[in-house]
Amino acid sequence: MARSDIWSQVAPLLREVERPGRYAGSEWGAVRPSREGFAFCMVYPDTYELGQANQAVRILVNRVNAQDDMAAERAYLPGADMADAMRAAGVPLFSLENTTPLSEFDVVGITLPHELCATNVLEVLDLAGIPVTAEDRAEDDPVVIGGGPCAFNPEPYARAFDAILIGEGEESVPEVLAAVREGRTAGLSRRDILEALTQVEGVYVPLLQDPAADARISIRKRVFSGFSDADAWEPMVVPFVECVHDRLNVEVLRGCSRGCRFCQAGMIYRPVRERSAEAIISAVERGIHETGYEEVSLTSLSTTDHSQIADILGALNARFADTGVRVSIPSQRLDSFGVQMADAVAGQKRGGLTFAPEAGSQRLRDVINKNVTEEDLMAAVDAAMEAGWQRVKLYFMIGLPTETDEDVAEIGRLASDAFARMREATPPEARGRLKMTVAVAVFVPKAHTPFQWEGQIPAEEARRRVGIIRDAVRFRAVRVDYHEPKTSFLEAVMSRGGREVSLLVEEAWKRGARFDAWTEHFSEEAWVDAARAVGVDMDALAHEAHPVDAPLPWDHVDAGVSKRFLMKERERAFAGALTEDCTFGACTACGICESAHSGIIVQEERGSHG
Amino acid sequence: MADPRRFRLRVRYRKAGRLAMLSHLEITHALERIVRRSGLPFALSEGFSPHMKMAFGPALPVGVGGEQEVFDVLLTSYVAPDRAFGALVEAAPEGLAPVQAAYVEPSAPAASVAFSDSTYEVVLDSPLACLRVPDEVTVTRKGKEKSLITADFLVGEPQLDGCGFTFALRARETGSMRADAFADACLAASAPAGTVLPRIVSFTRSALA
Repeated sequence: MARSDIWSQVAPLLREVERPGRYAGSEWGAVRPSREGFAFCMVYPDTYELGQANQAVRILVNRVNAQDDMAAERAYLPGADMADAMRAAGVPLFSLENTTPLSEFDVVGITLPHELCATNVLEVLDLAGIPVTAEDRAEDDPVVIGGGPCAFNPEPYARAFDAILIGEGEESVPEVLAAVREGRTAGLSRRDILEALTQVEGVYVPLLQDPAADARISIRKRVFSGFSDADAWEPMVVPFVECVHDRLNVEVLRGCSRGCRFCQAGMIYRPVRERSAEAIISAVERGIHETGYEEVSLTSLSTTDHSQIADILGALNARFADTGVRVSIPSQRLDSFGVQMADAVAGQKRGGLTFAPEAGSQRLRDVINKNVTEEDLMAAVDAAMEAGWQRVKLYFMIGLPTETDEDVAEIGRLASDAFARMREATPPEARGRLKMTVAVAVFVPKAHTPFQWEGQIPAEEARRRVGIIRDAVRFRAVRVDYHEPKTSFLEAVMSRGGREVSLLVEEAWKRGARFDAWTEHFSEEAWVDAARAVGVDMDALAHEAHPVDAPLPWDHVDAGVSKRFLMKERERAFAGALTEDCTFGACTACGICESAHSGIIVQEERGSHG
Repeated sequence: MADPRRFRLRVRYRKAGRLAMLSHLEITHALERIVRRSGLPFALSEGFSPHMKMAFGPALPVGVGGEQEVFDVLLTSYVAPDRAFGALVEAAPEGLAPVQAAYVEPSAPAASVAFSDSTYEVVLDSPLACLRVPDEVTVTRKGKEKSLITADFLVGEPQLDGCGFTFALRARETGSMRADAFADACLAASAPAGTVLPRIVSFTRSALA
């Protein structure tokens, strides 16, 4: 039976809501499959503007559509006004391509891009008319699967999902879909289908697997071993409505092993795998031609670490010189090579340049293994001034393990010294145009990092430390901005909590929490009341250190990087010892190459670029 | 380089179906991307951030489609109009399909000022017994309410035709009347008191001259 198309019910609502174009679909590059046969809907649990450019949605929709007799569509969480209008009119959440209700798909996939989207997952399911917990779903309800970076501590999402996929989904999503289809065709019960999913590598089925009761459960993350050789041109949707990252994105490498000890991405996306310069240049040419974009970003966790980056940028600049197409790289490495590369792509436009020293003192930078010195920062600032930049943004964290008030004051001192350096390099009459922003975020301890055992500082303490930074800043043109500590607190709870947090999320959502990442929607009250109602101590979850020898709520997830390595790195952190990036030096025995189905892939030897 | 003003391509296109929900700004971005995908030799402005040299016809409100919308793009070399048209059709989504492309004289007024008269067709979900045109239409501009005199903008008489009506508005140098505001005001004035207003099913600018 064909799935329905409810456009005629949706259209009348669109006259009354903001930016209705985001619900209209029909974008360039969107594939509109038939409404027959086995189908998957990939959901981003936030609004279209935030999720349209998401790589997981883009890649997995392409992957599933490439399978025989499988169709994939996309859906996003509507804005609050549209969600309310849909509820009032009894219109369920629908896919963009065929305006099909989500409840009619065989499988619904929801990506978990950050820690503040847990209540949005429930909002998606509820708007779709799908029961928000796996245990309440009936035989005919879709199988609801999740994945993405937050799946590396799956417990806070455990009750909502039928299956959680750990690691890269290029291969595991089609495998899961095939298993569901096979089970449905054979007339298996929902429970037997879930049982079958436990046999797919990297798949966790919380309803049937309870790590608290069975310590043998171990879910090994999936690594897409074909990444380097796969076509670097990943077809994409070009939105009509203005969206974040509204440009051609070409993924040039995956993984980063610089080994910053607070960074989850640097641990969970290992091993490093580069694509070739040739493949990247060809992908950019085809992508620009097929999308009509005027900007391309070469994306990854550390684009300037690509062994052929200088050649790639040179070739792209030559190729697009007279077309108005801009090339950008997402972040700069904190040294003069990073600035050279930023300069190579900046054309005549000089916006702000962003660096992330993360900590103010050398002592603390050594603790977190941020392998940069004050000289590196000053050299980068000098190079930036010479290349014509006038605005610099510096990212720092407060509340890092072992941090003292002296370390905090060093942030203000270092930023001021860097700003003084900017002034020296600038003629007096032009100094008024110089600006610096110091962006401060509260450290959030994350699973699968050497700091996973540490607690987070409370919000009041965070505000006090920001005050220390402000006092230490010597120039009025240096602005100190800080990220709201209340949402950082919730991030810590979601990062470190166990299955009990899954209940907390449900209760908070029932009390009206949604869009927690949006300051104007975030309701602290809903969370505090919910915690009281379900008996979860959020303060303890966020602030208390886990004993190193006690089991962790995410021990059943095998991220490839061994717990032994993380412990060793923790000890080295407290001893202030640096650990080198293995793609530039010796193996650090993190364990990933023994665990993953892929080793490190670099195109040429990575050198120090001087 | 040849003077790019010599090759001013004027394109008529549709804004149709679901894409009627797009705003004017969204349409202009989409048109620029269509031109880029088409591979036509478009001209760029000079300066720090070069942009495509285009001009757009008068804006349509969100929710209003168009049969004869218009934009100009300056080309740096001559491309036969039928070939240019074909390239644009290939590069356009169905809801923004070009319907015609032809060169206009360099001295002709640009698309942004050349068209003042718009004819609109409104389709309703239920019939209207009679159509009353209010003398004034209240619009909100930058948060302020303002009354516009209908007679300053209306061309001819609106025509009622069962489940719909048509009307024509002329843009003045001092401003124009939004077609959706005019249609809503007509509906409010025409429905008998206490009855439910008919709902607009589709709203289209059928001609632009």
